[in-house]
Amino acid sequence: MAEGNLSALMPLIFFMAIMFGISIFVRHKQAEKNFVSNYFIGNRQLGGFVLAMTTVATYSSVSSFVGGPGMAYQVGFGWIYMAVVQVTAIFLVLGIFGKRVALLARKLNAVTVVDIIRARFQSDFLAAVAAFVIVLFFCGTMTAQFVGGAKLFAAVTGYSYEAGLILFGLVVVIYTSIGGFRAVALTDTCCAIIMMIGIVLLLKYVLAAGGGYENIMLTLETNNPELFEPFSFGNMPWTIYFTQWLLVGICTIALPQSVVRGISYKNTQGLHQAMLIGTVVVGFMNIGINFTGILAHGVLPGVAADYGGVDNIIPTTIVKAMPAELVGLAIIGPLAASISTISGLLIVASSAIIKDVYLHWAEKNKHAVTPARVKILSMATTAIIGGAVFVIALTPPSLIWLINMFAFGGLETAFFWTLLLGLFWKRANKLGAMLSMTGGTIIYCATQAAGFKILNLHQITIGITCSLILFLIGSYMGKKSDEATLKIFFPQ
Amino acid sequence: MKKKGVASMNEAQKFSLVKREAIYTGIALAGLIIFWLMAGFGTASSEIKIFHLPLWAVLGSIGVWIVAIIISAILSKILFKDVDLGGDNDG
Repeated sequence: MAEGNLSALMPLIFFMAIMFGISIFVRHKQAEKNFVSNYFIGNRQLGGFVLAMTTVATYSSVSSFVGGPGMAYQVGFGWIYMAVVQVTAIFLVLGIFGKRVALLARKLNAVTVVDIIRARFQSDFLAAVAAFVIVLFFCGTMTAQFVGGAKLFAAVTGYSYEAGLILFGLVVVIYTSIGGFRAVALTDTCCAIIMMIGIVLLLKYVLAAGGGYENIMLTLETNNPELFEPFSFGNMPWTIYFTQWLLVGICTIALPQSVVRGISYKNTQGLHQAMLIGTVVVGFMNIGINFTGILAHGVLPGVAADYGGVDNIIPTTIVKAMPAELVGLAIIGPLAASISTISGLLIVASSAIIKDVYLHWAEKNKHAVTPARVKILSMATTAIIGGAVFVIALTPPSLIWLINMFAFGGLETAFFWTLLLGLFWKRANKLGAMLSMTGGTIIYCATQAAGFKILNLHQITIGITCSLILFLIGSYMGKKSDEATLKIFFPQ
Repeated sequence: MKKKGVASMNEAQKFSLVKREAIYTGIALAGLIIFWLMAGFGTASSEIKIFHLPLWAVLGSIGVWIVAIIISAILSKILFKDVDLGGDNDG
């Protein structure tokens, strides 16, 4: 391990030890009966506050804390105006899917989103495709979180990238594997709280280092007038606003890692609380961290390129604005965003393999699986997926942020219409869902690979439009769902 | 704790209620999008400044956030009703 700032390391070690401790405690407390429900959805026991925090923390990734505010530094208030669309994310997913998914999960004894898709469309093939899409795109997103977090760690503490990966990456894989969903939810709550504290702390020191709010703003008004214009003199075209409404706003309701929260809460009072708390928290985080990015001009004069690009703005600001003894506290916030997203995705990816593929196969083939075996396989699968992503992150692929957004769009293309129309439209059928999920995702990936765009809009617009058209074609051409299924999903 | 919902709904009524709440949420989204457009782009030409920030930046960020909180409060405290979800864990 290279020489670095040891004082910057201690708070992080302490924080990760707490996360690990929570996981051990949760494992110790969890009843051994009904392991699958316990491990993958916390036995449907989440209260309102924890539900809000885990949904927000899983949704808010390290790019919200590093790349985003770096862009705000470059673009100005147009970036906050664009990013604030994320305040819709929590009340939309919980308001549209929260109760319906909860009612259905209890009726069907479902533990995963794929369980519900399988039951709705009566298709093992579609369920397998859904599980594959989840694992594939989640691995991309998790890699981005590992790389982003470790790069930040290296830039701020002076220790190596690999040391960062081991310190927070390996620990998050271990604690998720041990504690399962309940541990993920509780550690996510700690992460969300620490993210907010980190934002307040950084904002305070940025203001102080820049000579106060008024001084920074007066300087910006003179030197950077583009920051005060919604289109930022051409740096923020309308196409970005439009696609961001889709990509990080409306279409996020179908992200499996968010929808699964609808299966995990205890009662509807908790859901109602979570809608309100989640909206307050997600807005605070988005506005707070991006505003801090703009105010960083007071600490880092010039342009982002002077500091190695937008991704280096927040790390450099932390190092320059904060006293050395508090640097360690400041990076816990962005790293918490990273680990909470990794843990949330990891447990859903693991459930896709164990519950949606393996246990379903075993049940169908009347292959007895002992509870002890399920337990070991579940924990091992979580560890193996996390370990695999960890290894990929050791040699980080280039264009990692693009991979992150690519994965986001892919998941939305695959699941948006399948879940929305599947759960609210009787006519939706197996053929429509199959065409939509497979066709839409393939078209989305192909347009991404070819760099093909229409009106310079992000390929999510093509993916989501094609998946809708395919869904409608399939639903009107294919056979209607059988009466027994419709009775479950649309009781009269 | 007193529940604000209908205590004895049958299954069809529950699903109907949940569908209605999803529609309310969709309408709330449409309202927020309209507010977002008016608050930001709609006031971009204004010369008014608040704490050194142009009006559009304040309304388009903190304004949108506050409206989203109000919408969430209206949805969750007024329009949404408590439902017995069934199963052993429902409180």
